[in-house]
Amino acid sequence: MVQVVPPSRRRVLVVTFLTVAATVVAVFCGLVVGPTSIAASRIFGDALSHLGLGHSQLSALQSTIVWQLRAPRMVLGMLAGAMLAVAGGTYQGVFRNPLADPYLLGVAAGAGLGATLAIVDISTAALTPVWTPLLAFAGAMVAVALTWLIGGRSLRSTPATLVLAGVAVSALFTSAQTFLQQQSSTQSIARVYIWLLGSLASASWHSVLIVLPYVVICAVVCVAAGRALDVMSVGDDEARSLGLSVRSLRLVVVAASSLGTAAIVSVVGLIGFVGIIVPHIVRLLVGTSYRRILPISVLFGAAFLVLADTAARTVMAPSELPLGVVTAVIGAPVFVVILSLRRLGSS
Amino acid sequence: MVALEGLSLRAGATTLVRDITLHVAGGTWCTIVGPNGAGKTSLVAAVAGLRSPASGSVRIDGHDLTEIHERDRARLVAYVPQHPEVPAGMRVEEYVALGRVAFHGVLRAPSRRDREVVEGVLDRLELNGFRERDSASLSGGERQRMVLARALAQATKVVVLDEPTTGLDVRHQMDILELLTKEVAECGLTVVATLHDLTLAALFTDRLVLLDRGEVRCDGPAHDVVRSAMLAEAYGTPLRVVDVDGSDVVVPVRGHTGR
Repeated sequence: MVQVVPPSRRRVLVVTFLTVAATVVAVFCGLVVGPTSIAASRIFGDALSHLGLGHSQLSALQSTIVWQLRAPRMVLGMLAGAMLAVAGGTYQGVFRNPLADPYLLGVAAGAGLGATLAIVDISTAALTPVWTPLLAFAGAMVAVALTWLIGGRSLRSTPATLVLAGVAVSALFTSAQTFLQQQSSTQSIARVYIWLLGSLASASWHSVLIVLPYVVICAVVCVAAGRALDVMSVGDDEARSLGLSVRSLRLVVVAASSLGTAAIVSVVGLIGFVGIIVPHIVRLLVGTSYRRILPISVLFGAAFLVLADTAARTVMAPSELPLGVVTAVIGAPVFVVILSLRRLGSS
Repeated sequence: MVALEGLSLRAGATTLVRDITLHVAGGTWCTIVGPNGAGKTSLVAAVAGLRSPASGSVRIDGHDLTEIHERDRARLVAYVPQHPEVPAGMRVEEYVALGRVAFHGVLRAPSRRDREVVEGVLDRLELNGFRERDSASLSGGERQRMVLARALAQATKVVVLDEPTTGLDVRHQMDILELLTKEVAECGLTVVATLHDLTLAALFTDRLVLLDRGEVRCDGPAHDVVRSAMLAEAYGTPLRVVDVDGSDVVVPVRGHTGR
């Protein structure tokens, strides 16, 4: 068995501080970095002028670029990163499975089918942008509900039953999605792929406002479940003997993380890897308690996704890399490095 | 204190335990013995409220376990499974404090009273030297003491243990059973346990219940149960009971085929 040394309180404080610092850096990058060069001091002055302090030095165009393009994109990135990370961490706790995240129970496949339906069937209409998030959200919720009905309702059901039901439902939805895609035009296929790979390019304050209530409520529920997830780490039967209503807790927590993820996915597409990698990095840094992992994952995920998006829109500017590709390219090596440092440290 | 009335347990079409009526008085220790597959683990899981009866009922202190909330149940009866799951990365003191969750709830931090109880149990079970250690790094004996500490932190009147001596050497077996004896004598704890070692069962327990194929075959003082003809029949192998300085030692006899 791998020995995990419980981290000292000082270490947790240092990691928390560094994560907050990373989040500040991410906000800075999200507002300042871009093809149009605008000095950070001017952006800062403009922000202050909105608060009635001093006067702005930004032109109307620059102001629009910063506050109508970069800012909503940065905020949406933070919401997406925070939600995907905290939902992944929550799933890993509730299923006691290091590879679990909401995509596993059908959120990804369901949203994929919904989005494909919208893109393929209404491709000629101007309504696609309206229908894509709605159908993606509906698809995700239908898939998770189906998984729950199949795998989670019987009295003897275990976390493994639910995961297997999720695999089956995902396979079904993915095959339907592939069929639709295969029947459609090349142009639609390209658009489906762009959606599947995830992007923050279409971010607006409108999309931020749509997902904000979902993310706030669902992330709060997940973070509040931290103590319960720690109790669940001793297994269902023992957790029940300690007084936990394991089944209702699992229902609430799975519902919250799936709902939040579905809301995010419907707006930004399938950004992979964040839900798996961020909680694991945080776990390696601050130990196995979900009371620490989940709140730090919220910040870490927010910072991680905004920084990844900054890379996505600058590395090959003026064209953009798919965000899902960047999260994997950055995330995987970081994960490997921390994992090996951790091994060296404990041996 | 613990009252089983006509209890039957099923898994699908299989009956695990049939029509068991058993009363265990407060402040006593009752041990369930019997061959593998007799239904001992299912029976004690039902006493801990973790298995719903197919028919009959389990009452603790007058409360029917199927009718009360899990949190209230956790204040009536604590449970130590045969193979407890010990999560890596959790400090021993954090693990023991899990026993207080039913009191402070999952949304609140432990109260001062909760912390005092945990301190008391760590003291009583001499775990203070380990409190900062990773719970998964303990040896078998230390680990079992830690799991018992978690159960005692629940401050229940009844503790249910499934084979608490599994995998322990003889000294640590004695340690755990002595600790339990002390809790019974000093704190009036009621213990319902399974034990596979008949000699230890006879040495420590007031009362033995012999379970075989889901039914009670024999129930009484340990001294009588180990001498009953039913015992050898249930295990399907001849057994001899030797008196060593007033203690019953159960010895298997070689060279016979069973049932």
